[in-house]
Amino acid sequence: MASVDSRRVGNGGGVGGTFQPYLDSLRQELQQRDPTLLSVVVALLAVLLTLVFCKFIRSRRSSQRAVLLVGLCDSGKTLLFVRLLTGLYRDTQTSITDSSAVYKVNNTRGTSLTLIDLPGHESLRLQFLERFKASARAVVFVVDSAAFQREVKDVAEFLYQVLIDSMGLKNTPSFLIACNKQDITMAKSAKLIQQQLEKELNTLRVTRSAAPSTLDSSSAAPAQLGKKGKEFEFSQLPLKVEFLECSAKGGRGDAGSADIQDLEKWLAKIA
Amino acid sequence: MLDFFTIFSKGGLVLWCFQGVSDSCTGPVNALIRSVLLQERGGNNSFTHEALTLKYKLDNQFELVFVVGFQKILTLTYVDKLIDDVHRLFRDKYRTEIQQQSALSLLNGTFDFQNDFLRLLREAEESSKIRAPTTMKKFEDSEKAKKPVRSMIETRGEKPKEKAKNSKKTKGAKKEGSDGPLAIGKAVSAEKSGLSVGPENAVELSKEELIRRKREEFIQKHGRGMEKSKSVKADAPKEKGKKAPRVWALGGCANKEVLDYSTPTTNGAPEVAPPEDINLIRGTGPGGQLQDLDCSSSDDEGVTQNSTKPSATKGTLGGMFGMLKGLVGSKSLSREDMESVLDKMRDHLIAKNVAADIAVQLCESVASKLEGKVMGTFSTVTSTVKQALQESLVQILQPQRRVDMLRDIMDAQRHQRPYVVTFCGVNGVGKSTNLAKISFWLLENGFSVLIAACDTFRAGAVEQLRTHTRRLSALHPPENHGGRTMVYLFEKGYGKDAAGIAMEAIAFARNQGFDVVLVDTAGRMQDNAPLMTALAKLITVNTPDLVLFVGEALVGNEAVDQLVKFNRALADHSMAQTPRLIDGIVLTKFDTIDDKVGAAISMTYITSKPIVFVGTGQTYCDLRSLNAKAVVAALMKA
Repeated sequence: MASVDSRRVGNGGGVGGTFQPYLDSLRQELQQRDPTLLSVVVALLAVLLTLVFCKFIRSRRSSQRAVLLVGLCDSGKTLLFVRLLTGLYRDTQTSITDSSAVYKVNNTRGTSLTLIDLPGHESLRLQFLERFKASARAVVFVVDSAAFQREVKDVAEFLYQVLIDSMGLKNTPSFLIACNKQDITMAKSAKLIQQQLEKELNTLRVTRSAAPSTLDSSSAAPAQLGKKGKEFEFSQLPLKVEFLECSAKGGRGDAGSADIQDLEKWLAKIA
Repeated sequence: MLDFFTIFSKGGLVLWCFQGVSDSCTGPVNALIRSVLLQERGGNNSFTHEALTLKYKLDNQFELVFVVGFQKILTLTYVDKLIDDVHRLFRDKYRTEIQQQSALSLLNGTFDFQNDFLRLLREAEESSKIRAPTTMKKFEDSEKAKKPVRSMIETRGEKPKEKAKNSKKTKGAKKEGSDGPLAIGKAVSAEKSGLSVGPENAVELSKEELIRRKREEFIQKHGRGMEKSKSVKADAPKEKGKKAPRVWALGGCANKEVLDYSTPTTNGAPEVAPPEDINLIRGTGPGGQLQDLDCSSSDDEGVTQNSTKPSATKGTLGGMFGMLKGLVGSKSLSREDMESVLDKMRDHLIAKNVAADIAVQLCESVASKLEGKVMGTFSTVTSTVKQALQESLVQILQPQRRVDMLRDIMDAQRHQRPYVVTFCGVNGVGKSTNLAKISFWLLENGFSVLIAACDTFRAGAVEQLRTHTRRLSALHPPENHGGRTMVYLFEKGYGKDAAGIAMEAIAFARNQGFDVVLVDTAGRMQDNAPLMTALAKLITVNTPDLVLFVGEALVGNEAVDQLVKFNRALADHSMAQTPRLIDGIVLTKFDTIDDKVGAAISMTYITSKPIVFVGTGQTYCDLRSLNAKAVVAALMKA
């Protein structure tokens, strides 16, 4: 109330009929050269405004600049992260938390993105995805091409989850499915992986929508992927989904460089 | 002696590695991460994997993990100290690199730790060898040599004056030491005579005699008490008219006046009324209005919100600054800080029906995850601990493997074999009811179901399933599905062998082309060895695709025992290399608990298998799937 009064005093009167007694007391205070109440209120207003301003600035700066690296366990996300940032090879273990770093894209503008490497372990992946999906500008889904045949169902399930989450966001991120570990001889090609995933997601969207509803039935019905009645294809999604092949380990193992030029070009494109 | 020592960040980058043998260390370390850290069993800091023992230490401030591995058969005593030393040295040496938020500093930094580590290892090994065997004390140094021989002689028959009294004292003391309270009465009389002589004796007071003297005083005190009770008992029958208050033998002095805490009253109203504190009575809430019940707001969050409401903080500025100073400073958490909060959390979890040992282990694991962590600004210990506990609970409830029965049934359909599900559990948890619910769900999705009545013991079990089958086939008659029977009951009456019936049922399903076989077994207590053997035999012989343990949500600490014993029985009686254990859990009677949902946590923690279905009632539609966040929210609600 007193803050309202101070603004009114600054504006020079106005409809002060009901606030007359307060105006008088304020004027009395000012005359006594003891405006403690007024100064305190002004100081608090200043603090509040700066806080709001800072939060606004920070949110603007950090939103929509993140590229998430997601995928199953042991698909090579952390090594890919290392290769993109430094080009070196490092030993890695199963990640327990996320790692993030600023990555300078090599295009003419020199924009920078924040690369975030999320853990792939089943108990952690959804939690971390929840946390970071709001700030995602692009999502790179890393697939282990050599073990793909064995893990098709798990890959498809996680991919389904990520697609549903991404479609629920306000500004949908660009999607890339990186078929990693191409240096292994038995690795599947990106085309084959795309076909397999489409087939798998086709059945998955039927079974997932038929699953018994969750405990709190307040959650909305799961969104439908693609068009009903027709076979599922990635082109039916409102997201832009691309496939490419890469190898984080590189042809010559630790010594050589990684085969990730396509990935870097894609990152430059979407930055 | 060490096999390997690794230091890696929680984000997955290996910062430094020492390999004593040529085997790679990633396999065991990954196993450690998966089974211990990610399953919240982090209370105990050692872990065995095949032939290795792994000891680890977490640095929560800089998000590092230190792991050392050595052969299981060795018992190295210096390992714990070595880890601590390495941790301290590494942290101090590379503080700037590991302090950064971004991962780039970790990537670019070179961690040349080899020489330091070898030095520490050498020191640790030497310190464990250095303790020379202690030389035995010589007789002259011992205390016995210092005592005069006279005091130690005990003679029988001979009774010189002092010796007799001394020996009586020693005998009495020895007796009361060996016989306990029974000999107190005797000892009292002995000691009384002994004590009266005591001060006259010019005996050096050695340690034993001091102890003896103290013992005598103690007995005397008790002896007096016993005599007092005897006298009271003698008085009681005399005063029959008046009812005497009961006096307890060892109860000390129960003085009535001392125990009367009531203020003096006249006619019930207090004589001197203390001045009422109006503010205290009114409290700080709004006067007449009833406030809404808001679940998650606690005092701590109220504090952080104060800073953004200028009108509210006008009166409490001074207090707020004091609180803020404590909050904003970067304080690292220690065990003592967290202890009270963790105790409260543990009691809260136990009150919510989580099994007691699991609540303890969970809190231990959260403590080890948070120890040394630097709290952010505007966060208190309580909120940090609560947040960490919430995250670990959600982590536990997340399924470790895919939970999609329909997808697997479609797979089995393609291979032209039926998908077999077995239900097991103790008596009365709802196996038959939930079996009916699940078959309803499967029928709705267009799969044909064969119900195998392998409960040949309970009266009415087969009839119950027959009734369910009749109702379900009324809902899905063959006409609607192109002449195909959608649900059929396979039963062979009572008293037969359950494993045999199951085998015949599966063969029948394969011949007739049924998609799913649901096998209902009899309820059995986990302690009943012959019945557990029979269940294990059924599962081993028929190799079902899914073994579901049905447990009720009302169960408390029993859940741990049930699941452990069921799993053990299945593992013991299986001939295979990898025995078939429980694959999933069906949590039933969920509607009978409001928010005491702790059984879900206990069960998933023990088995690390997912909760596949949740039963919330007794009609066919009361089948749900688990929503981890909702359950954890209900669990953490005050």
